[in-house]
Amino acid sequence: MEEPSEALAPPPLVIATATRPPKSLNLPDFCAARAVLAVVLIVTLTAVVLTVARQGTALNFWLELARNSLFLLWIGMGSAAVLCLLRRQLQELPIPLASSVALGSVLAVIALISAAVLWLGNSTLLGVRTTNLLLPEAPGRFFAANLGIGAIVAALALRYFYVSGEWRRNVELQARARVHALQARIRPHFLFNSMNTIAALTRSDPALAEEAVQDLADLFRANLNEKRANITLKEELEVARIYQRIEQLRLGERLHVIWDVTDLPMRAMVPGLLMQPLLENAIYHGIEPRAAGGIVTISGALDGGIIGLTVRNPLPEEGDSVHAGNRIALANIRERMELLYPGRSSVEATRIGDEYIVRLRFPYVEDSTRTSSL
Amino acid sequence: MTQQVLVVDDEAPARERLQRLLSELPDCEIAGMAANGEEAVRLAGVLHPDVLLLDVRMPGMNGLEVARHVALLPEPPAVVFTTAYDAYAVEAFEAQAIGYLLKPVRAEKLAAALQRAARLAAAPLARIAAADPARAPRTHVAARLGDSVRLIPLTDIYYFAADQKYTTVRHKVGSDLIEDALRALAEEFGARFVRVHRNALVNTQCIAAIERDAAGQYYLTVRDVNERLAVSRRLAGELRERLRL
Repeated sequence: MEEPSEALAPPPLVIATATRPPKSLNLPDFCAARAVLAVVLIVTLTAVVLTVARQGTALNFWLELARNSLFLLWIGMGSAAVLCLLRRQLQELPIPLASSVALGSVLAVIALISAAVLWLGNSTLLGVRTTNLLLPEAPGRFFAANLGIGAIVAALALRYFYVSGEWRRNVELQARARVHALQARIRPHFLFNSMNTIAALTRSDPALAEEAVQDLADLFRANLNEKRANITLKEELEVARIYQRIEQLRLGERLHVIWDVTDLPMRAMVPGLLMQPLLENAIYHGIEPRAAGGIVTISGALDGGIIGLTVRNPLPEEGDSVHAGNRIALANIRERMELLYPGRSSVEATRIGDEYIVRLRFPYVEDSTRTSSL
Repeated sequence: MTQQVLVVDDEAPARERLQRLLSELPDCEIAGMAANGEEAVRLAGVLHPDVLLLDVRMPGMNGLEVARHVALLPEPPAVVFTTAYDAYAVEAFEAQAIGYLLKPVRAEKLAAALQRAARLAAAPLARIAAADPARAPRTHVAARLGDSVRLIPLTDIYYFAADQKYTTVRHKVGSDLIEDALRALAEEFGARFVRVHRNALVNTQCIAAIERDAAGQYYLTVRDVNERLAVSRRLAGELRERLRL
């Protein structure tokens, strides 16, 4: 594995750099099923290539393929085991050194297994006739060829793992950066209006003003908390309710929110900042522009392991276009859901009659030990 | 001399707070309070306040539009805008030297703004509105009516027709003269109205039919009122296409 090229460096994400650990060789966890599967695939494909290349000189194709696969699988699994054990140490080394160590250990595994095969061939454990058919004649050439092919394939494979790891990490970093951007974006209009409401209440109703300040503090704490990436549905709905309470003071009779969420599993894990931005959009675009106000309905149901959440709001009397800010928030939620539940979630926004409806669907996951960096 | 102030804001706590701040200022009296734009224009025509404290962002008719309509009053009030957060509007007010206050409003800034408050002509306000990135057209047009103004909702208008100096608005309850030029109206209301002739701008929803008489002149019929308007030959084809008639 060589020095990573400059092109591999993640795109300049100013917000994300602070949270990015120092640059290190980030290989996947080779004890995890996903990486092992990739190793098996690489090994099998290499075996097929070698077998096809040697055809003509050799015995039966399938026998040759079986022999190569068996040999290479030992090497592949052995390398994966070694890299799994070395993972932590490798992460602490600078990238060139870590790459060399990783490649060196794979070559060591190849040498070891090659030696084992030769020893097995010369021993009397297996019948003589079989070993003659399966084992190489010239030990020197056998070692050299194995190490040469091994070095090339391992270098390519390590490079592949490194690049795809970097790519996945960039996707996560970008998603995180978008969360930051979203957090920054939702504030001004709401913040200053809330401050104005509180300023009015401090004289007319000090107790209510006190509550509003507490609510605002809770809301901002939830918004600023970086660990809020994955929280329970109960917590997320609570944040949305706090948001509603503050807006209620300002909009009074014009805002009605109907919560129909009793059927939802409150322990379900959801990405943070899911409902609150949707409610904020519904109020900002659906209720505030209407002199008479309106009703926002939040409903949810669990159906066959899939949680469905719906937010509906009336459309403004005048005006027709769905605001750009709305689309940004939806795209943001869609991306974060995709990151948490790849291919298993959906975010739809539709306009039916004079109603605007956003529907979220995602799998019901309860596990709070989920390891995701987001 | 005591200033009469009309407070306009769609949010009750915001009105309440301004009311209290004003009550603590000397030489200042609350003429009235309005919770939306239409009410504000109506009250301005009835109460003749000296100053309007006017929220920018309101449902329906926003603050900029209110200011444009009240500028038509014979003795228009001075206007001070209030806004919680609206970077675009603040920038525009700065550029046109129009008074504004940021919410939550400070008592001393309110006092200073009331002293400096100036009458606004409709023209600079129209310029601000035209520069608005959201480009929201007005919801009403206004006609002078004695010492108040009459608001005509855009949805009630059949057509605008230009005379030598004035523009006539034909709407559900009659017709009125307004001062807006037909060209400016065509630009502002292009989504709903279409130019059918050099001197006529028609609500696309109100065109019943387009016909041609023996002399080859095109006419359109206005729905509900059954009036006929000349359509220029050049625009007839375009119009038919747009309306799929």
